[in-house]
Amino acid sequence: MIPRYQRILFWSLAAAIVLVAAFLFHAHRQTLRRLAAPADETPIAAPGATSTQDVTLYLANDADGTVAPSQASLALPDDPTSRARTLLDHLLSSYAQPGSAHPLQSGPAVEDVFLVPNTPSTDTHSTDKTETAIVNLTSTFCDRHPSGILVETLTIRSIVQTLHADFPRVTAVRFLVDGQPRETLAGHADLTRTYSATTENQQPTAGN
Amino acid sequence: MLPLRRSIVATLFLLATAAAAQQPRATILLDPAHGGPDAGAHLANNVLEKDVTLAFAARLRAALGGANFAVLTTRDADPAAAMPPDQRAGIANHARPAACLVLHATDSGNGVHLVASALTAGASQRTIPWDTAQAASIPQSLALAIQIDAAFVRARIPALLLRAHLRPLDNLTCPAIAIELAPLDNPGGSPTPVTDPAYQQQAAEAIARALTAWRAQPAPPPAPQPASPATPSTGAAP
Repeated sequence: MIPRYQRILFWSLAAAIVLVAAFLFHAHRQTLRRLAAPADETPIAAPGATSTQDVTLYLANDADGTVAPSQASLALPDDPTSRARTLLDHLLSSYAQPGSAHPLQSGPAVEDVFLVPNTPSTDTHSTDKTETAIVNLTSTFCDRHPSGILVETLTIRSIVQTLHADFPRVTAVRFLVDGQPRETLAGHADLTRTYSATTENQQPTAGN
Repeated sequence: MLPLRRSIVATLFLLATAAAAQQPRATILLDPAHGGPDAGAHLANNVLEKDVTLAFAARLRAALGGANFAVLTTRDADPAAAMPPDQRAGIANHARPAACLVLHATDSGNGVHLVASALTAGASQRTIPWDTAQAASIPQSLALAIQIDAAFVRARIPALLLRAHLRPLDNLTCPAIAIELAPLDNPGGSPTPVTDPAYQQQAAEAIARALTAWRAQPAPPPAPQPASPATPSTGAAP
């Protein structure tokens, strides 16, 4: 004859085993679902508490080879370099949206943006307040960028003109990739030279 | 009297033939981009850009030869080692051609992209900075691009004219443009790929016609001294 307290203990343990098994099965399913979901690498949006401001994005169009201004409202950090990086992140992630006229793959694109005065800080008499933006792209972005003269040139022109529109002091832009100089964006457009932000408005002069 | 007239006619004919034979044939340099380990863009159906540019260069060479051009190319086969842009520009600058055509292919866009250097046009200098060697030829390069653009309009091939910083285009001292073949959109059908022989042939013939018309125009100013990669650079900024 099994004592009553042993029967209660047995059934309690059995119930606990079933509950733990059900919990583990549920957790296993949740983990599998999370791993199977496509990785969403879209950059995290700026904090919602920050007030939004109007910015100008120069959006590229592969069909007609143009880069046209478009207004957007964005929450941007106060620090200029962080603001420039957030702006470019938003610009380049917009090209990953379905129906983009200049389709690029999603993912982290800009590591850092540095704004460097064109006149040395030791020259206190200079009135030149212009800056050069140094855009440090990720190698992942460059390696996954479509290859071609038109498509690469439009990406560069889009970045340069957007920076100049929202940071009027930026008159020149240089590019690094993972902190190092790189010859081309994706095999064609030259990344070794300084791009003038004031002469990048060159549009096709003829065409059909 | 009759033999005298015949001899005059024969003499005039011989003089005309000799003059035509002495007329210098314009030399065109073709640069099929990429090659060797540098495959260029990976196009649809596992096609490599370096193979498309080489095939297109062969068609263009035949079309230009038929139009009485002398044609030089930076490569006629797939080289074992990659050819750096400076090496291609060095070959082109020392050949002193009438025009240089840098050939590319892509899967993006529609039709043909005609690319002139984005350098600011500059006056011819005694010492030519390597990074901005094309600056002195910008007006001639733009005129050439517009001439070829017009030929594509007549051939009913969509063409887009743009300016870009591209090597070796920026390092060439001759009138130069890059020609990038892109798929040809067909209304209601699949696009014509850049590997299509008929599309390439049509483009090559349009370019040959444009260069024939361009050759007949007044000659551009004499080319400056050829630049070489050893020339000290005076800055990359345009």
